[in-house]
Amino acid sequence: MLLLFGSLTFAHGVDEQTRLFLQSNTGANLIPFMYIGAKHMITGYDHLLFLFGVIFFLFRTRDVLIYVSLFTLGHSTTLLLGVLMEVQLNAYLIDAIIALSIVYKGFDNLGGFRKILGHSPNSKMVVFIFGLFHGFGLATKLQEFQLPEDGLLTNLLAFNVGVELGQFAALAIIVIAISAWRRHESFMRFATVSNTLLMSAGFLLMALQLTSYFQS
Amino acid sequence: MEQNLSGPALIKASAIAVVLAAVVFITLVMPAEFGQDPTGIGKQLGLTAIAEAEEKTVIQYADNGGELREDTIELVVPAGQGIEYKLFMEKFQKVEYEWLSAGDAMYFDLHGEPKGDTTGYFESYAIATLPEMKGSFTAPFTGTHGWYWKNTSAEDVQILLQTKGQYSLAKPAQNQEDTP
Repeated sequence: MLLLFGSLTFAHGVDEQTRLFLQSNTGANLIPFMYIGAKHMITGYDHLLFLFGVIFFLFRTRDVLIYVSLFTLGHSTTLLLGVLMEVQLNAYLIDAIIALSIVYKGFDNLGGFRKILGHSPNSKMVVFIFGLFHGFGLATKLQEFQLPEDGLLTNLLAFNVGVELGQFAALAIIVIAISAWRRHESFMRFATVSNTLLMSAGFLLMALQLTSYFQS
Repeated sequence: MEQNLSGPALIKASAIAVVLAAVVFITLVMPAEFGQDPTGIGKQLGLTAIAEAEEKTVIQYADNGGELREDTIELVVPAGQGIEYKLFMEKFQKVEYEWLSAGDAMYFDLHGEPKGDTTGYFESYAIATLPEMKGSFTAPFTGTHGWYWKNTSAEDVQILLQTKGQYSLAKPAQNQEDTP
């Protein structure tokens, strides 16, 4: 946990060298943009925490694929549209919403919405909608670099492919770990604890982003 | 698919989530990220230093009024004579330098004189005979800091000096016969 918080400020930021590269880059550059996209996803623990929440109770591979595809469809849409149409949103607020999505999923996994509303909201739709917000988050960060127009679409697509590859790599590890854990009786015993911690991490990230927003 | 906690268990889990997040945020994140430490725990753990480190850097430059500057200067040391070249620096300002003589090795004395001093006091940081030198120093006091070069040959020697740091240029004192 401490390690996680230690690098908090760099979670979403892109490191200095990457920044220099992005700002000085001209023309289409497939592999570097893919790499940056993949790195962003693998080091972006808010995306990963949300995905962890989403697949926590997905027992079948088919369900995992459906949900992850919906999430991907959501964030790809807003990533591309956001950058191409130059939609500028406040990065802190977007990140706060992404943090909220983590809280939401943790609460949902605990059965909170069924208890309150009598049913769980259409979880496929919810994953898609939060995917849209995650994509806006990516788009907002990319736009901070004022990417050159030259080769923009190609680079964006490459970035997006990189995001998917990074997501796939991270997911593979999470799925394998959770599947292994599920066979253990401790899984159900710790399910409540896990999702409570997930919610807590979401609250913490929200507090961080909102504080940063009000200070900026 | 989800769990089906009872109402009280659900409230308990949610409350724990909020309290845990709040505790971590107040005791660890606020000191480290925002430099605010209401509990004092951040200071004990050394976390406030993270936030302060950034602030200090900014203040340091502001205090000096000294932006980083860079200069490349060509000097000529006349045959059989010495010259001085000085930078005016506030206490603790830093400079990186590199100089290169077009001729043979030259006797030099890198030193500083405190501002307003009339006794002729100076402090040497380096004395040697070299064809070139690269380094950096921090001014131990406010005043002029720089080089004295002595040309013992029968021909004028050119020196190329590059400096980078926080300083303003003091006027070069030409044609000094004596070592400082």
